[in-house]
Amino acid sequence: MPLLSAPFDVERPSARASLLRPLVAVAVAMLIVVAAGRWLEQGGGALAGLGRSAQGAGVHGGFIALGWVIALGGRWGWQRPALRLAAALLAAFALSRLGAWGSAAFALLPLMLLWEGRRHPVLRRIGFVAPERPRALLLGVGAGAFLGSHLLVSASQTLGYAVRMPDADAYIAAVAYDVGANALSAEWLFRGALFSHWWRRWGFWAAAVASTSMGLTRYLLDPWLPPTVEVGAGAVFYLAALGLCASALRAWSGSLLPGYLASLVFFAAYRMFVVW
Amino acid sequence: MVSLRHLYLLPTLWAAFASGTSGGCLAGLVAGFLQAPLVLPGIERSGLDPGALDRLVTLATPLASGWVVGRLRDQSRARAVRLGALLEIQRELAREEPLYRRLEDVAERTRTALGALRVGLVLGTGDSPAVASAPVGAGLDNRSAAAWTLRGGGAVTSRDLASDPRFQLEEPPGPAPRPALVLPLESGAGAVGALALEWRGDLTAATRAAAHEIAMHLALGIENARLTLRQRRFAVELEDKVAAATRRLLELDRAKSEFLSVVSHELRTPLTALQGFSELLLSRTVPPEQARRFIGHIHSEAERLGRIVTELLDLSRIEAGRPEALRREPVDMGDMVERNLEIFAQSNPRHRFRWRPGENLPPIVADRDALDRMLTNLLSNAVKYAPRGGDVTVSAGPAPGPDRMMEISVEDQGVGIPAEALPRIFDKYVRVPDPETIGARGLGLGLAVVKALAEAHGGWVEVESRAGVGSRFRVLMPL
Repeated sequence: MPLLSAPFDVERPSARASLLRPLVAVAVAMLIVVAAGRWLEQGGGALAGLGRSAQGAGVHGGFIALGWVIALGGRWGWQRPALRLAAALLAAFALSRLGAWGSAAFALLPLMLLWEGRRHPVLRRIGFVAPERPRALLLGVGAGAFLGSHLLVSASQTLGYAVRMPDADAYIAAVAYDVGANALSAEWLFRGALFSHWWRRWGFWAAAVASTSMGLTRYLLDPWLPPTVEVGAGAVFYLAALGLCASALRAWSGSLLPGYLASLVFFAAYRMFVVW
Repeated sequence: MVSLRHLYLLPTLWAAFASGTSGGCLAGLVAGFLQAPLVLPGIERSGLDPGALDRLVTLATPLASGWVVGRLRDQSRARAVRLGALLEIQRELAREEPLYRRLEDVAERTRTALGALRVGLVLGTGDSPAVASAPVGAGLDNRSAAAWTLRGGGAVTSRDLASDPRFQLEEPPGPAPRPALVLPLESGAGAVGALALEWRGDLTAATRAAAHEIAMHLALGIENARLTLRQRRFAVELEDKVAAATRRLLELDRAKSEFLSVVSHELRTPLTALQGFSELLLSRTVPPEQARRFIGHIHSEAERLGRIVTELLDLSRIEAGRPEALRREPVDMGDMVERNLEIFAQSNPRHRFRWRPGENLPPIVADRDALDRMLTNLLSNAVKYAPRGGDVTVSAGPAPGPDRMMEISVEDQGVGIPAEALPRIFDKYVRVPDPETIGARGLGLGLAVVKALAEAHGGWVEVESRAGVGSRFRVLMPL
């Protein structure tokens, strides 16, 4: 028991490295890549697709890099995995532009993250482990399915939006994007790094609300979200519910996986929602 | 529909009662979500009219009910568990086993009551405090937080052991925070130990308050257990002392009875002789030679009677705690010893009396009469307890050591004194029973008188003896 056996020094200073510099470096890199992508996109032609891919890879790769920085407490070791994952994301975005089956490349991203993370036992602290309670996986799927189906029912009942199975290729591409970029980077950063970091300092509710708010902000700033009031309100409501639910699953199971599954299932339902 | 929607409350309340706040909130949330598609289109169509507000309230009711009922259930359950644990802890501490054996159970009960991951209990602030833990097996390091608290450092609180820089942990961080508390166990008499608690997940204010409450009860319980233990030990000691005193009183009573019987016998014997010989002299005409012998008998019996009376007077003085009125004068030990040995040699032909004076034997300043009585008593004992005869050696000389003392020793080859009887040998009325000396006469006062007289002179008396070999009495007197 550490309280009886571990050396204790009441005046020992923290050996934690500063988080600020690497976080700023990643944020600046994100902005540069996104700006470069936008510039390429505006240039039109063949490079426009590459520009859009660079924007996606910049944002999601940046999220993953930020999560990695926080997970390692600002210590050296996040750069190479973050760069490799960002490069893989760029490749997946580029491949997805070639066709629906090119999007399958996104499916490699979670595997790559597993491969990169296997050498860092410290990632256990952000929930990069198998769940302690396997039934949490089922609960995650159930929570995502409940929220997703509820979204579809209430949107169709309340707002009259159509719910239909979209074009299979587009649906596969969207779900693949969620698997390898959208849900993956969100869970990694907001539930993994931020929630875990704040949970240790402020307790569950403060950490869950803060990390969910951050996640919500990220979605509200997403230019691909339809710019209507009811969609915005719905996004706030459902994404807040999803974020809190994923935080609870993360805390209960000790793992990011149930929350990731909940997000995947929710977004899989959301992709059937046709706003315009 | 309006009445049916209230049925959502039933599963919510059931979940709140079954699983507490989390279950109640979850069920209330699900109920609210399920109702929303039925409520929201109405609001969309007709705006926030009174009916819509009513439905919105109904929408929120399951969540609010689930939260309130679940929280009440959690609080009452936590209180019940805590009270139960406190009772169990008090019961554990009140058991008659030694305290350290009960600590493991107490630690386990504390862990259950507080929902803690690990509990450590350290008792005592000395070099080797007792340590117990749940799960069992933890040891105490002198550099640990618990040891720091024990040394008077106060309480230690940590939101997460893994990220707290004050702790040097070797194990890798886990996926959840590990909040921890180390609380001093303080009773009215000061710190009696420390309680170390570690959780996984959140540490709520209620749990922290409960930990403080349990620590306070533990401290009082431990203090009470210690006091009870001390009282029990004191009672046992008291019982032993009372039993010993009772035994001693019984022994004294028996010795006194025996003493009275011996005294009456010892007085009657010379009196009978005095009475008989004097009657013979009065009633008959006896030849002068025979008359002279009779008068000799009367004289020796009168002397014996005188000795008994002297011993009884000594006894009364000892019992009353009155010091002997000493008339100190220089006494030549050589003369006194030689005269006594001559007398004893005449009446005890089976014994060989030896006198070993030290070189340049100085005179001793003492009460002549008292010194004579001491020597006579020691010689009398030497003869009495060596019924088969043997050597009786008297020696005297300056004792070794810085103090100016004279050592007078009387050594015999008699039955000796068993080791267990040695501590009582100078007590009054004490006579060590031995089959060989069962017929020896005496009041059991001789050695008590010797001791009292030696101490009255500022000296003391010692004995060395081995059963079956003999005894040696050493009287040390200031010169």
